[in-house]
Amino acid sequence: MTTNVDRTAEVLIRIRGVTKDYARGGEVVKVLEALDLDVNRGSFEALMGPSGSGKTTLLNLIAGLDSPTSGTIEIDGQRIDRMGEGALAKWRSNHVGFIFQSYNLMPVLTAVENVELPLLLTPVRASERRKRAETALRVVGLADRMSHYPRQLSGGQEQRVAIARAIVIDPVLLVADEPTGDLDRQSADDVLTLLDRLCKEMGKTILMVTHDPAAADRASLTHHLDKGRFRA
Amino acid sequence: MIIPLRYNLRSLFVRRATTAATAIGIALVVFVLSSALMLSEGVRRTLGSAGKADVAIVLRKGSSAELESGVEDPQVALVKAMPGVRRAGAEPAGSGEVVVVIALEKLGASGVTNVGVRGVLEAAFTLRPDVRVVAGRRAAPGADEAMVGIRLRGRMKGLDLGQSFELKKNRPVQVVGVFDDGGSAHESEVWVDREVLRSSFGREGSVSSVRVRLDSPASFEAFRANVEQDKRLGLMAQRETAYYEKQSEGTSLFISVLGSLVAFFFSLGAMIGAMNTMYASIANRQREIGTMRALGFSRTSILFCFLVEAVLLSLAGGALGAVLSLAMGSVRFSMINFASFSEVVFRFEPTPQILAVSLVVSMAMGVLGGFLPAVRAARTSPLAAMRG
Repeated sequence: MTTNVDRTAEVLIRIRGVTKDYARGGEVVKVLEALDLDVNRGSFEALMGPSGSGKTTLLNLIAGLDSPTSGTIEIDGQRIDRMGEGALAKWRSNHVGFIFQSYNLMPVLTAVENVELPLLLTPVRASERRKRAETALRVVGLADRMSHYPRQLSGGQEQRVAIARAIVIDPVLLVADEPTGDLDRQSADDVLTLLDRLCKEMGKTILMVTHDPAAADRASLTHHLDKGRFRA
Repeated sequence: MIIPLRYNLRSLFVRRATTAATAIGIALVVFVLSSALMLSEGVRRTLGSAGKADVAIVLRKGSSAELESGVEDPQVALVKAMPGVRRAGAEPAGSGEVVVVIALEKLGASGVTNVGVRGVLEAAFTLRPDVRVVAGRRAAPGADEAMVGIRLRGRMKGLDLGQSFELKKNRPVQVVGVFDDGGSAHESEVWVDREVLRSSFGREGSVSSVRVRLDSPASFEAFRANVEQDKRLGLMAQRETAYYEKQSEGTSLFISVLGSLVAFFFSLGAMIGAMNTMYASIANRQREIGTMRALGFSRTSILFCFLVEAVLLSLAGGALGAVLSLAMGSVRFSMINFASFSEVVFRFEPTPQILAVSLVVSMAMGVLGGFLPAVRAARTSPLAAMRG
């Protein structure tokens, strides 16, 4: 169910008439059809829907990983639907923190080196990079795991490292694709509590794709997608 | 925008079995290439170091080596008397020498090989102050005795101190001394008394070459003009250094071209190996690369990152090959010198330039072998990060 947007709050994400088509075997497949969506700054919202409903595609468009076939996407006052690949990469590095289902940490880098990775794209000096990465790891409760490699961490800890990597650049938007999909209940709860804290205490805007109703319950707002459209 | 080097180094280490296999392939190429270059350098140094800048060698016009040349005794006296030739007291510093090739049985291998024999007088030692007897003594004038160069010692039947060999059928000569000459080609020769050699080979009345020490290296041009302007002589003069340089040219070039060709064909295989390793590595790291792209790393950063990884891999192989080739420094290698048709013993001579060339070649292999896989990596969509 799509909940009405609070019009009094500042809108961070504004989507109008977004359509996404894919050509598959000579046929055009419509994945998203004329979507409109507003997401307020500082909210924690979930996208739900059956497999193939288009929720990850929508998340990819909002995160600047892909471009829409038509329609407009405005994030923090900036149109990203017309940006070229290079500009989008730069925009992502400054505005978006990513949290993936499978954590996507570099297995050959330690926790703190993984967290430092996005800072390499900024003009921050090496010593400052390390300091910020350590702070981010402290925020997610992993001060004692900084030199551990991903293989030495539990799934929940890996996901917390990934969250530290997402917040280290202080992005306006955090996108999470099934962040609890690979975790046990307890670890999933810990991660969701952390996301909730980031939203409430640090004012981060979080958009999360999930299959898990318990995860969606932690969000302040849930959007349901089916066959490329929001379900009324 | 540069992805840290430790990411590449550790990624190579994680895949250490394939990394090692590829690096060994590259090491083999570098080993072959640098060994060939070291041998070529060894040939150049061995043949080249026999020459001195202030010594001129006079041969019959049209001869490219002493073996083909003949100079009559009266002409020897004329050459030695020419202006510019240094005088040691009343005697001009010059030496008429005879060079022949004889076949001797190899030791430790089957078959026979050619050995250069030089017929010398006392003057030969005056002209070559670096020649030193390291065992035994000099051959006595007029005696059926010989000295062998240190590189030949013990390599052919009869060529060791106290042994004897047949200079000509039924003309045994005893080895009474062993000499060295600072690593020059003379160390691969047998020296006997000139008159003994001439009488054995029926060469009385002529020599193969005349060497003279000049007043200074600058006197050479005037000396040559004098020798070559006298048409009755029919002789030509060369600086000894130039003569030996020319002697080494063919053999040295042959070795370096052959070695480089072998290394080139090997390198194609090694490059394909490196390419496969990088392709496999990139295929296994699609999500990692996609994640880097999602985080904002540009295509160029990714391309550079994987090129660096390929270069690190090939440099590791190159360094291994270069170190292995250094071990060849202690190996001696004998082969026929095309100019003298006699066996010369060479060493593999490592030089900093050769090691640098080897490493540059291995780097080039990394760049060439890693380029296409790196392009593939750079083309990875950031959406690959989202795929499970």
